[in-house]
Amino acid sequence: MQVPTTPASPTDEELDRYILTRYALMGIDISVLPESDPDAPMDQRRLLANGRSILRQDVEAADFTIDPQLHLPQLYPAPFTAWVDEDEE
Amino acid sequence: MSGREERPDEGVAGPDQPGPLDGPVSRRWFLNRMAWVSSAAATGTLLSRAPAVASPGGPVVTEEAFGQAVRIQDVGDLTELTLSQSMTLVRNGSIRPRDLVEAHVDRIEAFDAEFYRAYAARPTREELLAEAERVPAGGPDAPLRGIGLVPKDNFYTADLLTEGGSLVFEGFQPDYDGTAVTLMRAAGGVVLGKGQMGNLAGGRAQVYGTTTPTTRNAWTPEDVRYSPGGSSSGVATAIAARMAVAGVGTQTGGSVVGPGTAQGLTCIKPTFGRISLHGVIPLSHTRDHVGPMARNALDAAILLQVLAQPDPMDPRTLGLPRPPNYALAATPFGGERPRVRWPTRVGVWPGYLSDDDDGESRLRRDLVAELERTPGVTLVGEVSLPDDFDVLTSSPLGGSHGDPTAFFIEHLRRDVRLFGDRLPRFLNGMLQSADSYVKVQQARQLLLGRMTSQLFNQCDVVLTPSSGAFDGTGLPVMCFPIGFDTDEETGRRVPRGAIVGAAPFGEERMLAVAAAYQAVTNFHRERPADPMR
Repeated sequence: MQVPTTPASPTDEELDRYILTRYALMGIDISVLPESDPDAPMDQRRLLANGRSILRQDVEAADFTIDPQLHLPQLYPAPFTAWVDEDEE
Repeated sequence: MSGREERPDEGVAGPDQPGPLDGPVSRRWFLNRMAWVSSAAATGTLLSRAPAVASPGGPVVTEEAFGQAVRIQDVGDLTELTLSQSMTLVRNGSIRPRDLVEAHVDRIEAFDAEFYRAYAARPTREELLAEAERVPAGGPDAPLRGIGLVPKDNFYTADLLTEGGSLVFEGFQPDYDGTAVTLMRAAGGVVLGKGQMGNLAGGRAQVYGTTTPTTRNAWTPEDVRYSPGGSSSGVATAIAARMAVAGVGTQTGGSVVGPGTAQGLTCIKPTFGRISLHGVIPLSHTRDHVGPMARNALDAAILLQVLAQPDPMDPRTLGLPRPPNYALAATPFGGERPRVRWPTRVGVWPGYLSDDDDGESRLRRDLVAELERTPGVTLVGEVSLPDDFDVLTSSPLGGSHGDPTAFFIEHLRRDVRLFGDRLPRFLNGMLQSADSYVKVQQARQLLLGRMTSQLFNQCDVVLTPSSGAFDGTGLPVMCFPIGFDTDEETGRRVPRGAIVGAAPFGEERMLAVAAAYQAVTNFHRERPADPMR
């Protein structure tokens, strides 16, 4: 049986294709932005760089271990959840 | 046992003074509250469309709010009156609501252009004067009659455009007032206009769709480099420049206390859910807050009192403990030197104080020295931060990538260029995975619990360099001015402020500390010079 290995980390180009595919799936067109123009409020280059950062941060979030028994008590994590202590039964 | 139940010095200042609200709220209360909310949701009563003003909770504005006596002949300019003073003079008949409104309209027409517009949409002079003559929904004795107020331009107003500082909402005309605006108007407040704001509640106010700044800081109108603070930029400039008595901003990440400290104001972002967000353009459903902005602690308390009402249209506001008397909390009392209303332990954030010789460091040391001399205050020194604090407050666990994306899909499909420089914040949330998003919510809850049990077991309020840890957790935070300093980049004299945070429902603690400080200092009374015309 084949043993799982950690896949190679995706390249920027691979992530860009993923990001553009995701936007296209949602019906969002970013081609109306300039490709690269530091003077423009936003351009495709900066947008994709930010998107790659978000994707890579998902890995950091996954790496942070939180007790799976830490149940979110309600839709809004409002201040009164402060009285539900981590170590309370 | 939680840290809330371990505090050694909980007590009252005198035999007639009840303790503050951050003490008695307990785990038992929490469980009862959740049972009530669940029951209300099941029966559909949470979704009633009854107007918020019809179901007030907590005390109305009380006598303490009228405490600052002033003679009309001592006031050369009605725009210099504080909210409390204005209320007092209207109630005793010294001035008419119309007089107050007219004075502010005169000033707006004279100076708003010189500030590169603190205001976005504004009613006409005739409309405002007519509103000042009308009896408000709260009746002829409504406390805010004639008080000129400025809500940020993300609060829905049925009579004014609500554009959120952005091309996305250009030309948007709501058909109802947001709950906060409804409550202010019912109390007699007059909306002088909408405060310019950063693009979709981020950054300083700019020309829509560009990175060209508009609104200037009231202290440096001639210098574009010194920011008015964002994103409640116009609200802050209007208040500091005496073009409004007070106002309301919103804070998802520092957007009330940021402009507040930048312009020498006293502002409060209360505990999450304390003020309804119904009728506010959303950014994050877990982090958005409405925050009163004013010139001193008592004025901020009065506005908070008016706005802290349960709202059937915003379930986040329901079932919370009854709002206490905030004006009382903001009224120091006793002896030659006023004391805080309750014994209060003041903590200092790690690194907040230093031996550096720069202006802001000196002002912080002065602040702490002043608080140390305040009767009722116990300085507990530098606090230790909760476990994993850095991890839990930094991206990605401390972030909120996915929140705004969900509300804006239709606009993103329409044209991404409408979002200008804020596009990544709104578009890239769809790249955050669901598992990561759940982890973020868990981390936020973890941090909230640890802030309460590991930080606020050391102190009741904490001086902090930033509101960051208080935004995602929904904990209350406020700012007040502590002096003036020379800005390094521009060389101009600018105000500096302190930020103080508290445990859940600890608004009274913060107001009491700020009020005691303001009783012996004058920074909150300083007024910026009129701009050159």
